[in-house]
Amino acid sequence: MKKAPIFVLLALSVAALSAQAPATATGTRSYVETLASEKFAGREAGSAGEQQAGEYIAAQLARIGARPLPGRQDVFMAFDFTAGSRDGGSQLSTGSQRFSAPADVVALSFSDDATVSAPAVFAGYGIVVPEAQNFGYDSYATLDVKDKAVVVLRYFPEDADKETKSILARYSDLRYKALAARQRGAKALLVVTGPRSPNAGQTVPIAFDTALAGSGIPAASISGKAAAALFGSRSLEAVQKELDSGNPHAAGFALEGVSVELFTKLVREKRTARNVVAYLPATSPVTGVEKPWILIGAHYDHLGLGRNGNSLASAADAGKPHVGADDNASGSAAVLAVAEAFARRPVRKRNLVVALWSAEEIGLIGSNAFVNTPPMPLNQVAAYFNFDMVGRMQDNKLAVQATGSSQTWPSLIERANVAAGFNLNLQPDPYQPTDVATFNQASVPSLNFTTGAHLDYHKPSDTADKINYEDLDRIAAFATTIAARLMESDQAPQFVKVEQSSQTVNRTGVRVFTGTVPDYAADAKGLLLGGVIGGGPAEQAGLQKGDVIVEIAGQTIANIYDYTYALELLKIGEPVKVVYMRGSDRRETTLTPSARK
Amino acid sequence: MTQSLRRSSLLLVLALSSLTLTAQQPSASKESDFLSRIRRLTVEGRRAGEGYWGPDGQRLVFQSEREPGNPFYQIYLMDMASGDVSRVSPGMGKTTCSFINPQTGDVLFASTHHDPRSKQLQDEELKFRASGQERRYSWDYDPEMELYVRSAKTGTLRRLTNMRGYDAEASYSPDGQWIAFSSTRSGYEGQLSAAQQKQLDTDPSYFGEIYIMRADADGSGVRRLTNVPGYDGGPFFSPDGKRIIWRRFDESGVIANVWTMNLDGTDQRQITDFGSMSWAPYIHPSGRYILFSSNKLGFENFEVFLVDIDGTREPIRVTYSDGFDGLPVPSPEGTRLAWTSSRGGGREGQIYLAQWNHQHALDALAAAPPKQKPTRGSGQ
Repeated sequence: MKKAPIFVLLALSVAALSAQAPATATGTRSYVETLASEKFAGREAGSAGEQQAGEYIAAQLARIGARPLPGRQDVFMAFDFTAGSRDGGSQLSTGSQRFSAPADVVALSFSDDATVSAPAVFAGYGIVVPEAQNFGYDSYATLDVKDKAVVVLRYFPEDADKETKSILARYSDLRYKALAARQRGAKALLVVTGPRSPNAGQTVPIAFDTALAGSGIPAASISGKAAAALFGSRSLEAVQKELDSGNPHAAGFALEGVSVELFTKLVREKRTARNVVAYLPATSPVTGVEKPWILIGAHYDHLGLGRNGNSLASAADAGKPHVGADDNASGSAAVLAVAEAFARRPVRKRNLVVALWSAEEIGLIGSNAFVNTPPMPLNQVAAYFNFDMVGRMQDNKLAVQATGSSQTWPSLIERANVAAGFNLNLQPDPYQPTDVATFNQASVPSLNFTTGAHLDYHKPSDTADKINYEDLDRIAAFATTIAARLMESDQAPQFVKVEQSSQTVNRTGVRVFTGTVPDYAADAKGLLLGGVIGGGPAEQAGLQKGDVIVEIAGQTIANIYDYTYALELLKIGEPVKVVYMRGSDRRETTLTPSARK
Repeated sequence: MTQSLRRSSLLLVLALSSLTLTAQQPSASKESDFLSRIRRLTVEGRRAGEGYWGPDGQRLVFQSEREPGNPFYQIYLMDMASGDVSRVSPGMGKTTCSFINPQTGDVLFASTHHDPRSKQLQDEELKFRASGQERRYSWDYDPEMELYVRSAKTGTLRRLTNMRGYDAEASYSPDGQWIAFSSTRSGYEGQLSAAQQKQLDTDPSYFGEIYIMRADADGSGVRRLTNVPGYDGGPFFSPDGKRIIWRRFDESGVIANVWTMNLDGTDQRQITDFGSMSWAPYIHPSGRYILFSSNKLGFENFEVFLVDIDGTREPIRVTYSDGFDGLPVPSPEGTRLAWTSSRGGGREGQIYLAQWNHQHALDALAAAPPKQKPTRGSGQ
């Protein structure tokens, strides 16, 4: 019954009026200031600081009146995750030559631990574009790699035209290459960074990878020196040059007479982190109420001292606590404020779960741990509300994301915002880089609130004094009003699966650095810069915060997706024309991308 | 009322469909002199527009495409305190141009729901959309369009007009006694010459003229106020109820200007002279100035402008945003502005709301240079 939301709302209008009491008693300031204090040392998942921050949150939940979930003794829900990996002594030998870690062979972060012996075969860039793409690029087209050790080049053809690159880039992720090799029966994957590519001849640093196990194939990167041993008299540079045109018919070949023995070992450091989850029980029996649970949540973890690769700190600030006032003490504070508002309400038709996730920064691990072993059936959850970076409101702009996850959202948001008065930017896409994606994946109607990225994003300078507390309180009140409308209704929103757009940002293959900080909350036509990285290519090109990039390297930029794809086409060190708007002035500059580290 | 997405509908779609990255990006500094706390008011549905205030500023009536199964506008009333929204129109067929009676709270609008083909037309439009084709959408000046009023007291719907021709774009006088509206009925009465018939077939709006009638009327006692070839439409009363403001298109249907006249059609004065499409005028409750929209700065780029009530000075630009900004309507207390804008992205408009800086408007008017070539014509 599509009309349901309106009927429900009309029926509720009396109750709804009482829902508009101010939402926060203590306000959000003390939560943010405490969580973003240096004593928690940046709240890195699994650290002492995270543990202490969790204790603080638990105490606040208890004060508010929220209880451990039914059947649980406390509010802590621990989970294990991989906090990092290092090579455990991988080795490669061929003929009489031996290569060892870390100089010449390094296991890839998703490698299986194994010892294999196999003949070597070279498979070009190791890229397979799915047939559905109707593009026709398959590095394995004429090769038999069953039970072989496949050697491939890193990245994608260097000299291909832009359109070809934009397609190949999407399938050049090393995980994807490993999958393609494994599916064809390969015993192992060896990756070499070609002489004509950036970082030529270097091994691939072990990426931060939170997987608890390998991907089913031993995989390692090898140095140019080790590759030379495999290629013998052949020039790898010449081989690469032939492939770099993007011509799919430039085939790989067996490395005649070359066999390798590969030993891979990864040491994964396992740690334990904790979600903090409590609930406010319904005030009356939930019989007759469709889907009797509502969840509100935010991640409370951040980057600690910024040592795991996500930090954008300048060299001078490296290693300092990333206190994450906006990211995401602000969202945690909003959740506590909403919980507090509901705790004071005399009537709750549903149970309200209040969740503070950990290990979001390293891949939404906390929320996924919850969803994988949910304490209540997820099909009994009416809705999930997420808050991520809600403390830097500017010009009254608030982005509400994942609005496509239910047809109920637009009408609820419209009604709540008449009084709240935000300049809303509605984004139907639920595939966002925050915990809202986890719940969308679990078919729970969801919303994410955010005020967007800024210059202090993922830096130690994201501090509590820069938070806009007045508007943070308004956001909590706004979300409370929306949640209250659901809370008082017997009916639950219908979930709508939003198809993942082919344009969804895929960082795979992006290896250039432009030093731009996109304003993700912006609705500009083009890419609005929330800032530029000091000393980076964008700053050197004269770009500044507030500029709107509308064209780069001949590619029209209408949004962040266009921009991300355009980035895939850039070459390190190759200057490109950038057209941008400064106010109403249309300007041009030249930007020279550098290599992403 | 006003023509909204009709005469200019074609242009609008063109304007909004291309991702024009040219010219004006929002220039916050200038726009924020007039408008603060800008925000999108309507969220639900594919498009919304033409928000008009109730007399206490606590309600806003508007048109929106949000009725399941109906791809045309219906009329909705928003309570500005609770945020509740209720549908006023029947839900079937096309509607447009609503207005709240300042005295009774009755809601006036134009509708085609009596047309037995309504459901069929809806289904056809939905089917067309589902086919993925792009319609060069243009307002059709449906001759079935008639004026209706929904009683605030009893909830009953009463039909006010019953003439072949498009009767729409209606508004109340401040005392609630009079209704001004636009109608193409002259194109359907009497014998048309061959040239006139061709005109009616290709562009019925050519026959649009301004009429006035008693609010309690049943379609009788109607008086025609304009008699100039080209589309006259979108009439509103001045705050003192003594004059009517409207927009007049030239015969080509491309150039429009804002005009004012007495309630009997005398003393017709041309206010704007951009040589572009200037339309959707509304007088600020202070009576001091007029807000209107024009594509002066680019065929595809409508912006809101401000001009003194007599049009003696150069108009002043208010909005700075790509695409469409138009149909500006100040609130009764004069401190808020509702308008229709495509600034949220996409090709369809939604209603936006902002605080209106009346003092800045007065200052800007005082500082504006005299109009270079005052054009004050008399229409008849």
